[in-house]
Amino acid sequence: MTGREAAARRRALVCVAPTVVALGALTVYPGVWVLWLSLQRRIPIFDISRFAGFENYAFLAVDPRFWSAARTTAVFTLGSVALEVVLGVAAALAIRAQERGRRVALSLLLLAWAMPAVVGAKLFEWLYHPAAGLINVALGRHAVNWLGDPSVALPAVILADVWRTMPFVAILCYARLLAIPADVYEAAQVDGAGRIATLTRITLPLLGRILLLAVLFRTLDALRAFDIMFVLTGGGPAGTTETLTVYAYRALFQTLQLGFGSAVSVVVFALVMAVAWAYLRLLRVGTVAA
Amino acid sequence: MTVGLRRSAWALALAAWLLTLGGCGGGREGGPVTLVFKYARILGNADPLPGLLREFERAHPGVRVKGEALPWTSDDQHQFYVINLEGRSPGFDVMMLDCIWVPEFARAGWLTDLTGRLQPDELAPFFPSAVASATYDGRVWALPWNFNVGLLYYRADLLARYGLRPPETYEELVEQVRRIRAGERDPKLDGYVWQGKQYEGLVVNVLEAFWANGARLLADDGTVFPEPARAADALKFLRGLIETGVSPAWTTAADEELSRRAFGDGHAIFLRNWPYAMDLFESSGSAVRGKVAFAPLPGRARGEPGAGSTGGAHLGVSSRSLHPDLALALARHLTSERAQRAIALGAALSPTRQTLYRDPEVVRERPAMPRLLALALAGRPRPVTPYYLLLSATVQPEFSAALVGVKPPERAIADAGARLAYFLRAVR
Repeated sequence: MTGREAAARRRALVCVAPTVVALGALTVYPGVWVLWLSLQRRIPIFDISRFAGFENYAFLAVDPRFWSAARTTAVFTLGSVALEVVLGVAAALAIRAQERGRRVALSLLLLAWAMPAVVGAKLFEWLYHPAAGLINVALGRHAVNWLGDPSVALPAVILADVWRTMPFVAILCYARLLAIPADVYEAAQVDGAGRIATLTRITLPLLGRILLLAVLFRTLDALRAFDIMFVLTGGGPAGTTETLTVYAYRALFQTLQLGFGSAVSVVVFALVMAVAWAYLRLLRVGTVAA
Repeated sequence: MTVGLRRSAWALALAAWLLTLGGCGGGREGGPVTLVFKYARILGNADPLPGLLREFERAHPGVRVKGEALPWTSDDQHQFYVINLEGRSPGFDVMMLDCIWVPEFARAGWLTDLTGRLQPDELAPFFPSAVASATYDGRVWALPWNFNVGLLYYRADLLARYGLRPPETYEELVEQVRRIRAGERDPKLDGYVWQGKQYEGLVVNVLEAFWANGARLLADDGTVFPEPARAADALKFLRGLIETGVSPAWTTAADEELSRRAFGDGHAIFLRNWPYAMDLFESSGSAVRGKVAFAPLPGRARGEPGAGSTGGAHLGVSSRSLHPDLALALARHLTSERAQRAIALGAALSPTRQTLYRDPEVVRERPAMPRLLALALAGRPRPVTPYYLLLSATVQPEFSAALVGVKPPERAIADAGARLAYFLRAVR
């Protein structure tokens, strides 16, 4: 290594140091701290603080409420992301095909996306109202107990979440659609491709990368979803809408069991990391193939 | 942690920091003293609080009282206090507390022990149940400020039409619902509405069903569910109300407001709710104005007489307050007869002092007060324990599972008991 190279290297290190320090202070330190907490029995207000090893995790392994929350988290994530992708792509294609009023359609979509989660949840609380809610009024005699029936509550919560977050997918896809050159479609037309073939052979494959990215973001958000079920159902009925983050909140902030609650948080963190890693690998494979 | 949690944690940290700055100003020797009073905004015709605080300032020259609003929901308020008090923020002097938090906060060392500072008879005018929930370990930690007790509201016009008197047992209530609905033939008329959503209100409703059936959630010696069979039977009865249609299916999603509105729109015969609902039923424009009365909650045919669960807010003095004597003076002022009269007149909150329930001025404004007195006296507090929130958060999903019918009541009680035993072993 020449002297000049070494100097450049040093300067690079100095330049990158603030970022590393900031990241370390803001993410690594709290992360390690939560990990450490999760190995303890710690309930500070009762002066309880002792090392417990993997006791918290051992309890989680056989805790039915934890497994129910894990299942709910999985169903919520799969359900809401799948619906968001299908509806988001459909909305993007519909807007693209529209001759007029595109801007109005986009603004309406953005309105839902820009709404704070709690406000969106309150809106759906009214829509799902058993007697005065718009949905049940429309259903008349076939009214549904939206938030009080254990087999309906989770789908109802998913629906509310999809309404609020589908626009994110739609707008990302719409932007990609605009970037597809018109001559690609013209060439397809010359080759005699029908509308379906154009959609499945050209549009969707070209949307692939951006969709994967949208799905990554949405999955990570859905795994950590909290506000929507907290406001709509508080985790009920019978705990059927209690996700891992709601469970962690109850343990950490309501019953003040910092050790146990941290163990739940660590599981959520591990889950999010695993999913993020898997997606990033997929994205990389996609890049190499392209 | 979720983004939402982290964000609110940051907001709270920032708020705590600002509060600390605000609090420091008052700490200087000789300078003007600032007392910070944390409370939830009072709903009603006119919020009497600012006036009462100014009154205190006039009586204590050199003292400024800053009333600061707490977050809206009880969960958020609890979280706010925990983060600030655990973080040793001296940011407030007088705190409004939900009565179920007092033993927890006392045990954590966040409240000033008031026992030695009070006059011997000072607590005698308050409801015994309110004093009980402000007492932990034989010491008094807060002054009772406003009071709640579970009531059975009924449609007096409908009961009169069928020559019925308000039911003394739940079995009678079920029978009356059958008779009235058979006679009215109104498909929109529900029978008995109450709170079955998975939240604190569900615990309150189930406790009342327990008590009527001779069951408890927590015995004095710390045993959980000392009468498991009776507890399971009470849950089974509640589930039966929904199964047989005496209570609507949406009871499993109902909180106070949802059930209050259904009854207030004239769509139910009976309602379990708190005293605040009466003022709303009697307000102009109400569909049931002049048609509503209340009675004690029913008992069970072969059980005990019914008792309403009590609730309400207390005023405590932070153990980190720099001016504990002034803070206690403010809490005394706000819980005084004069102040509670003003609050009873201006807002839909009920006083904790018994004499106000016969006070001519209050009775003129709220004629139901004298009748409320006997029911308030008979009310029972929820278990007074520092672990109450742990207790409640653990039993909520189990009770809810029994109500919606996905778990047999016996299993729900057994599962809740086992979980509680595990957690309580750790904290005791």
